[in-house]
Amino acid sequence: MTKLETKGIVKYFKHESHNLMALGGVDLKVEDGDFVCLVGPSGCGKSTFLRIIAGLESPDEGQVVFDGKPVTTTGPERIMVFQEGALFPWLRVQDNVEFGLKMAGIPKEERAQISKRYLDMMQLTKFADSFTYQLSTGMKQRVAIARALVMDPDVLLMDEPFAALDAQTRDLLLVEMQLIWEKTKKTILFVTHNVAEAAVLGTKVAVFSNRPSKIKKLMPVDFKRPRLVEDENLLGLQQEILSELRPEVKKSK
Amino acid sequence: MKKNILAKKIAFFAILIIFWQAISMADIWPNNIFPSPYEVAEDLVYTAADGSLFFGIGTSIMRLAVGLGIAIAGGVVLGIFMARVETVNQTIGSLVLGLQSIPSIAWVPLAILWFGLTDGGIIFVTAIGAVFAVTINTYTGVKNIDPHYVEAARNMGAKGTQLVTNVLIPAAFPYMISGFKQGWAFAWRGVIGAELLFSFLGLGFLLNVGRQLNDVSQVIAIMLVIMMIGMAVDGFIFKKIENKVMSRWGLR
Repeated sequence: MTKLETKGIVKYFKHESHNLMALGGVDLKVEDGDFVCLVGPSGCGKSTFLRIIAGLESPDEGQVVFDGKPVTTTGPERIMVFQEGALFPWLRVQDNVEFGLKMAGIPKEERAQISKRYLDMMQLTKFADSFTYQLSTGMKQRVAIARALVMDPDVLLMDEPFAALDAQTRDLLLVEMQLIWEKTKKTILFVTHNVAEAAVLGTKVAVFSNRPSKIKKLMPVDFKRPRLVEDENLLGLQQEILSELRPEVKKSK
Repeated sequence: MKKNILAKKIAFFAILIIFWQAISMADIWPNNIFPSPYEVAEDLVYTAADGSLFFGIGTSIMRLAVGLGIAIAGGVVLGIFMARVETVNQTIGSLVLGLQSIPSIAWVPLAILWFGLTDGGIIFVTAIGAVFAVTINTYTGVKNIDPHYVEAARNMGAKGTQLVTNVLIPAAFPYMISGFKQGWAFAWRGVIGAELLFSFLGLGFLLNVGRQLNDVSQVIAIMLVIMMIGMAVDGFIFKKIENKVMSRWGLR
């Protein structure tokens, strides 16, 4: 079943003197339960594409169709995880995680029950009362993921969430991300510039072309999970992704 | 380290008082023009003993609290509107900058004409002296909010007043607190200044009584009280809040 579809998404980056066409009509179909990794040369607009799906930006042309209906505004069924987490420093970890539930008017006790489940899942229980300045970058991203999962969204939109992490923390979260996906069966769109990350996580990898970008190739990934970054059988796929990506990166320079 | 700083401060003030005592003992000026620290302290004890000092402090603080409270409430609302609605910023915003340049004491004649010689008039002067500093800092704070906070909150379903109370105000709070601090400083000056001219209870009034009685030591004693209250509010209340906010918000 198609969960999410984008039809001919066009977006211009506006500059003073001229407009640059970043997204040149992006068509993408995402099935329910897909884990789609989006890779592309930097500046190709893949993050913007994600923001458009989240309803945080509007496309200049084209539309986003969710569950068969076009959507133009943001909504809690499409939750975004930002690169830097965008956690609220004035709230404790638990209150950060419960933020969306509070906005939805869910009473305190019920919120605590729900958030506890996700705090446990992300191994944050010990840090429930901490403030974000007391957490490492990796911990912050766990909180950001817990905060998104609590909303029980249909689609999780992740914008390079592991880009700022050190390699060890990232590898750990790559494994956890797969477990979360298997457990929750969420539809996930995951933007990354890291080919290995895409190969490890995705059920599909979408390669963006250079500006004005479209999806150049959509590759299915069928390896057994949990996959590890160092898995040798993923190297072939990584090579394949890279060979699609490399000419685009060259063009973008 | 901290002890060291305190020791330096105590030593400095001790030397200052000794110096002051020395000058007054040199008899360059008559004592009723240049009183000794001892006489000033004596006067302080007298006004404290008959209760008039505490009544004065209480009255001034009350007026300050009400005026500053109004200024904070009004300034925060106006500042948020200016930051979020461009038309409000382009219109009212320019007026705010203009009004900010009027010293609070210049509002006194208007306050007397509108409110008479009442508490209301003094509170008006206090509030109007502080409100624009709060407004401008709130505006700057809201303008400087990391847009990801607002996007994340909207994404999670926050809208309207929910967004204001749960995100905009806390996110802008580090700026707002400096606005409150500035506002307090303006309000304190405003309340004392207004009391001098209204001559109607409070510390400013006590200053005026001292002048009318040619009692220089009372004037100096009250000035010292005004200064010490100012230092205490800055050092204990605002510094504590500021430190806490800065570290929690990850700004230090």
